[in-house]
Amino acid sequence: MELNAGTGGNGSHKTASERDEVAALESLQFTDEIRRLMSAPGGDNASSFTALLELPAPQAVQLIHSPESAKLIAAPAPAPAPNVDDFRGSFQFPFNCGLIDRAARFSVFAGDGNINGNNKSNSPEPTSYNSSASLQKPVKSEPAETESSQPLVSDPTVENRSIKRKDREKVKGSSKKSKTSVKESSDDAEKLPYVHVRARRGQATDSHSLAERARREKINARMKLLQDLVPGCSKISGTAIVLDEIINHVQSLQRQVEFLSMRLAAVNPRIDFNLDSVFTAESGSLMDSNFSGMVIPMMWPEVQLNGNRQQYPQQLHLDAFQQPVSGREEVCNSYITPENSLLNYDSSGNSA
Amino acid sequence: MNTSKPPTMDLQNLNPSSLKSRFATRFLRALTKINAQKPISPSSPTEIFQRYRRIKVAADKSMAYSVRSRRTWSRATLWRLRTRSPRSRLATLARRSSVKTRTTTVVDKTSHGKENKEERGAGLGVEEEELRELVPGGEAMDLCNLLDETAHYIKCLTTQVQVMRTIANLYSLD
Repeated sequence: MELNAGTGGNGSHKTASERDEVAALESLQFTDEIRRLMSAPGGDNASSFTALLELPAPQAVQLIHSPESAKLIAAPAPAPAPNVDDFRGSFQFPFNCGLIDRAARFSVFAGDGNINGNNKSNSPEPTSYNSSASLQKPVKSEPAETESSQPLVSDPTVENRSIKRKDREKVKGSSKKSKTSVKESSDDAEKLPYVHVRARRGQATDSHSLAERARREKINARMKLLQDLVPGCSKISGTAIVLDEIINHVQSLQRQVEFLSMRLAAVNPRIDFNLDSVFTAESGSLMDSNFSGMVIPMMWPEVQLNGNRQQYPQQLHLDAFQQPVSGREEVCNSYITPENSLLNYDSSGNSA
Repeated sequence: MNTSKPPTMDLQNLNPSSLKSRFATRFLRALTKINAQKPISPSSPTEIFQRYRRIKVAADKSMAYSVRSRRTWSRATLWRLRTRSPRSRLATLARRSSVKTRTTTVVDKTSHGKENKEERGAGLGVEEEELRELVPGGEAMDLCNLLDETAHYIKCLTTQVQVMRTIANLYSLD
């Protein structure tokens, strides 16, 4: 006796080898599913798999219980129907293209973990298993092929489906570094009329992650600049440590400003400050040469502007330099500001 | 930035309008003013402390003025300095409390004890916070601009330290 599954009624027989293959494949996939289904109460005709096959539950179970896989399935099948016993001996897999398609589709779903679309109607995932030709494209979405598959083709399609499943899992494994899996994003892209962007391997293509990536690159570029600025930071790798160094550097600079201002305050305020002698003395140990170079050109506009000197209540001159003392004393006799001392310096021709 | 040379002096070619020269000008002026207005008094600690405060303010102010309003941190510093003494405490407290819940009594950029802060895990987060506290005006910036501001701030601080150190060395050479 043969089982005629629902729609087509075209009960062509499979060969034993094909049946064994299919059964083995399906048994691999189905053991857990079947256990679950069997443990469910028997009148569960609306359960996914049995509804898929349009068979009453026990007969569906018997369908799967091919002689080879009977050992694999531990739980005994409920067999209320008397005619079921006949199947045990001469089990023939009722080959029906629709049945095979649906079963394979279900297996595809089981393998992927998406059990949606139990309906027999050509589910929204026909592309997942129809794309036997697109095994080589791990990233792009598969083109939709025709739904109907011939019996001759169905066996290779079953194999191809299983192979494609493994491929997909491999692809997923390799692209684990992306936050959203590429397959999912491409699946989403399938359904909606998006522009397909060819992303780098392992990276998602939606606009959010693109913007995020651009932002991260900007931040990394600036961190590199900061690393160059802060001494001793170029060897360090790692954002947090570099930031720590930057923070320490800023703190130390601020503290230095404080100490220096304290020093300036603590210096005897009666010291008369005269920049004149500063620029004449060429001793590099006494002054920063940059400092001298910096102040003098700054004074040039004041040379023309300030024709007269301003008088300050306090005389500022610096007798810091013991060597070039004599020539400078005369300059410091009047009340002059440091800036005007330069003017004086210039006019008196005391050039180094 | 080293483009122009003074006509008669053979010095290192430094731009007279560089940050360093601008800052040095302003700071020296302020310094002389502070030294000028000080009455003749023995150097008591309070006196020195007062002068220290004034000098520090002058240094920060002159640096901020040298940068004008081109940078967020300079604007923030000027704002802070402007609304400082008269009703400043309330203003700054209100401003700060709106951003962070902290109590500060003195407007001081550096008066935050960070030695106790440990790394709390979310790496970028904690240091980011600290950086925002350090850089004036850094509370309301995103990370990208914050890093920009930090770079410029470090450059300006370095200049400030250089100039002040030179002046202090000159002062103390007697």
